[in-house]
Order: sequence, then C-alpha cells, then structure tokens
Amino acid sequence: MALADAWKQLSWFYYQYVLVTALYMLEPWERTIFNSLLITVAAMAVYTGYVFMPQHIMAILHYFEVVQ
Amino acid sequence: MIRADEHHLRNGTLKAHSDQKQQGSNSLKNGFHVAGKVQKNANGDSFHQPRVRGEDSFEEAPMYVAVLTYMGYGIVILFGYFRDFLRAVGLEKCHQAQEREEQKDFVPLYQDFENFYKRNLYMRVRDNWNRPICSLPGPVFDVMERVSDDYNWTFRLTGKTIENVINMGSYNYLGFAENNVDFLKTVAEETRQYGVGVCSTRQELGNLSIHENLEQLVAEFLGVESAMAFGMGFATNSMNIPALVGKGCLILSDELNHTSLILGARLSGATIRVFKHNNMQSLEKLLKEAICSGQPRTHRGWKKILIMVEGIYSMEGSLVRLPEILALKKKYKAYLYLDEAHSIGAVGPTGRGVTEHFGVDPNEVDVLMGTFTKSFGAAGGYIAGKKELVDYLRSHSHSAMYATAMSPPVVEQIIRAIKCIMGVDGTTEGQRRVRQLSENTRYLRSRLKEMGFIVYGNQDSPVVPLLLYLPGKVGEFSRAMLKRKIGVVVVGFPATPIAEARARFCVSAAHTREMLDKVLQNLDELGDHIRVKFSRRRPSHRQELYNETDFERDS
Repeated sequence: MALADAWKQLSWFYYQYVLVTALYMLEPWERTIFNSLLITVAAMAVYTGYVFMPQHIMAILHYFEVVQ
Repeated sequence: MIRADEHHLRNGTLKAHSDQKQQGSNSLKNGFHVAGKVQKNANGDSFHQPRVRGEDSFEEAPMYVAVLTYMGYGIVILFGYFRDFLRAVGLEKCHQAQEREEQKDFVPLYQDFENFYKRNLYMRVRDNWNRPICSLPGPVFDVMERVSDDYNWTFRLTGKTIENVINMGSYNYLGFAENNVDFLKTVAEETRQYGVGVCSTRQELGNLSIHENLEQLVAEFLGVESAMAFGMGFATNSMNIPALVGKGCLILSDELNHTSLILGARLSGATIRVFKHNNMQSLEKLLKEAICSGQPRTHRGWKKILIMVEGIYSMEGSLVRLPEILALKKKYKAYLYLDEAHSIGAVGPTGRGVTEHFGVDPNEVDVLMGTFTKSFGAAGGYIAGKKELVDYLRSHSHSAMYATAMSPPVVEQIIRAIKCIMGVDGTTEGQRRVRQLSENTRYLRSRLKEMGFIVYGNQDSPVVPLLLYLPGKVGEFSRAMLKRKIGVVVVGFPATPIAEARARFCVSAAHTREMLDKVLQNLDELGDHIRVKFSRRRPSHRQELYNETDFERDS
C-alpha cells in the first residue's frame, strides 16, 4: 500500500521533471539519450566526491587547525 | 484594485467579490435599467466623469520560472541542432521541404531561426493547433479525433468525434455563432432575395442596398456620422491605413499592435515609431520629439501624426487608456486610429465598445475601426468616423476598389446581430447577452486569480490569458484539457515573447455558469497536477510607470 503510494509519488516527480526540462516534447529515444547523459554526469560527480571528499575534508580541517 | 465603479449604476458591475456567486443568473438585480429604458450611447446624459478603468495586471512570475523556461528551451534547441545534424548527414529522413540538389549552393532557404524553430520545436507539439472541428463554434463543439504515427509530421483522422467539448477559444463573445432557425430567419430571407455571390467590387456593381443598410446601422450603433464595411477584418486595416497616411506622415503605434495594423503602417510608407505598451509617458515623449524635430532629415513639420492603438489587445487582455490618449491627442493635435476588433460588442454597458466603457464621446476618436468577426459572429470589418473621412475612403481605399463586396447572408447576420444588441428587434436578448458576457468575464477572472494562476490584463476584458511559461507545460496543458473535453488555445513564441507562453481563454455570453464551473474545476485540478499556479500577488515591473527614467522603447 505504502509502496504503491511511493511509486505514484515518484512517478509524479518524474512527470514534473520531464515537463520542466521540456523533455516532454522530445521523442522517447531522445529522452533516453538525455537521461543517460545526465545520469552519467551525476554518477561521475558522485564518484569523484566519494574518492576525493575524505582528502578534501582532512585538508580543510588541517587548514583551520582543528586536526594536526 | 480601484473599486470606484461601484457607484455607477451600470451593467455587470458586481458590488463585492463574494456577492458574485449568489447573484447567479438573476442579473437584473444589477439595477442598470433605469426606469426600464435601455441607455444608449455614451453621449447624452453620460457625459459625466470618465469612468475609472481598473488597472491592468501583469504579474511577474518568480525567478525560478524564468530560469527553467530558458533551460527548457535550451535543451530542446540543443536537441534540435542534433536532429538537424542527423538529417544533414542522412541518418534521418527529412520530412520538411528541402532545396533541390541543383540549388544546394544557392543562398539557403531553410536555415534561418524561424524554419529551425518550426522544424524542431513547433512540429513536436503541432497537434495542439489546427484541430479540425465538425460543428459550429458555439459554447460547445465537436472536435475530430486525429492521431499521428510519426510524431506530428503527418496526421490521420481516426473517424471518431470528441463531442461536446467546451469551447474556450473561439471569439464568440456574444454567442452569435449559433444555428438557431428562429434567429436566422432574416438571413435565410435575404439569401433568397440576393443570393450568395456578389460578383463585383463595391465601386463597380457590388453596392447592394443591403450594404447601405448595414453601413447606416453601424454608424447609428456606434454613434458616429458614417461608416463603411469591408469584407475582411485584416484587410480593413492593411488596405485602409495606406489610404489615410502616406510618406511625410508619422505613425505612433503601440508596441503590441496586431499584425494587420503593422502591415498597413508599413505599406503606407509613413515613418513608424513605436511606444511602450499602454505607456502614456512614452507616447508623450515621442509626440514632443516629433513636433520639435519634425521629419527626419529635412526637419519640416509632419503632415499628419496618427496614433494607432487597439481597444483590447488580444494577447494581453489589456484595455487601452483612452481618456489619457484623447487628452494627449488634443494637446499635440494628432489623430487617433482606434482598432476595436475585440472590444466592440464585448465591453461597455450596452456593448458599444471602449468609447462607452470610458464614457467618452465616439466622435472624439478620428477613425473608429472594428471587425464583425468577433462579437457579431460574421466576417468583415468596418471603418467609421466623420462623413468626409468615410466618403474619402469609399473612393480611395484599395479594399473598396478591388475587393469583392461582402456576401449578403453575412451582411444580414451582422445586421441582425446589431439590431439584437441595440434592442431594435423588440427583445432584450442583446442586452442580456452583453450583461451575461460581463458577468462571465468577471467571474472567470476573479476565480482564476483566486486559484493562484497568473492572469494578465484588465478585469473587464473577455480575453483571459493564463500564463504557462514553460514549453513542456504548454503542450501538456492543451492535450490534458482536450482529454477533459475542454478546448483551449495555447500560444507560444513567436506570437508572444519567448519566455511568456500562455493559454488564452475567450469568454462567451453563451457559456452558462455550469460550463464555467466545469472549466474552473478542471483548471484547478490540472493546475495542481502540472503545477502552473505561479501567482504570488506581487505587482510587476510593467506597472512602475512613474519610477522609470527612460521612456525609449529599446532600453
């Protein structure tokens, strides 16, 4: 029951995303291309964050002399 | 909003917002009919103080909406370039017209932005326009269902009809687009007498007695000396402005004037200067400059200065500031051309147009122009004014000399519509329709504003633009409304600025309260589902007239 509601809500969010980015006007294969590009870029950003965030945070803390 | 109109005993003036729902269909409560007499034109006892017009509202949308709109257009344009590349390389078939092989080295025909826009943006949502209709465009109509197999490049009709779709797009302001046999009796009689084809121009053998009757009636209806009718509304503007002004004259035209006015102005060869929409300071600045410096190189005086404005602007729903323009016109000795295409029959307590709405004498406007297409349910246009002006046009207008005269059934339809509005045919049907239109307009506009939509324009104008902004939502709005059996007209670039796509509703006197309620309920649901309720009740930049330092149009 809760899963069906969650699915409906997610589906509405996807619908809003498609409307706002004007993907609504594009054909299905164009939407696939755009979504793949977007997911690729987002995945790369997340991966970079995952790899480099610990170093960055240590460097910042070191700069502010919170950690030695 | 200024509520000074409460003190005037007029048609369709509903005292308080909350009273509107209780007043319902009993519109005689409004107390317009003083002692049962139908009040005629704005002259006579109505030369009281000019009526204060409600303010136009042009609410601005929140910033994120503008950003998302441009982002949406950006994405679709990028994909447009991508698809054009695929077509150029040959990976995709080009459905649109192309130059022939032998002409590939010539100046390209289809590479400008307009063609790009048409190929890549308009085609994708093209099914929202040019829908085939198979009944008369009354308050409800039937739409033929059509589907496309190749993303709107070609359509095929499935054979089914979508019936009883509520019509919110036709310019049927007073509901005269009807096929009721009783009302159309005189039209049938005149057709029996005159036939349908005239086969000649007005100047040659096409001047029928029914045309003379029509022109006298139009002049009487408007309260001016004389009028002349033409077969096509667009052609009335574009063919008659060249007859009125020429080289050495100056035309001051509003920013948002209709294409027919612009075309007429360009054809005439006069100098054209544009002032900001409804902005009297901008107009006054241009007038002062024109009179001080005269013609461009010789600095001689202008032969004529013609101010061209419209009664109701059809894309914005805003009303002209007539009293101020008349004051300016008198001060600087210019002429005024008022195009009442949408406002004749639709505003004013007895449907006489913006001159009556403002309580102004129609003889003060030099050239009154209007069309019969919108409120009268026929086709054609008229120009009215002083007798000398109209007689001059009879011999010098291109339309009179070269265009075929109006067809008799159409003329009779206009005559019967005008007689109905004036009350000459003995019923109060015309006045009832004018009141009903005014009520419907106020109701629809106030409810839409309540719901949180951004609606442009004046509270009295039956043209109601509802702003949608985002290109994706524009297409979805139109399709979803058709699924709910309501037909709307959505407009995007290039008819509107690129970031302000809208849906335009045209209220009709033939809409009943139930139809409007159904429309409003569906709009409410759809507005929530799609999220187009952007209003935050913030006044917009267009109203800050008195804070501007520069009234040049290009700033």
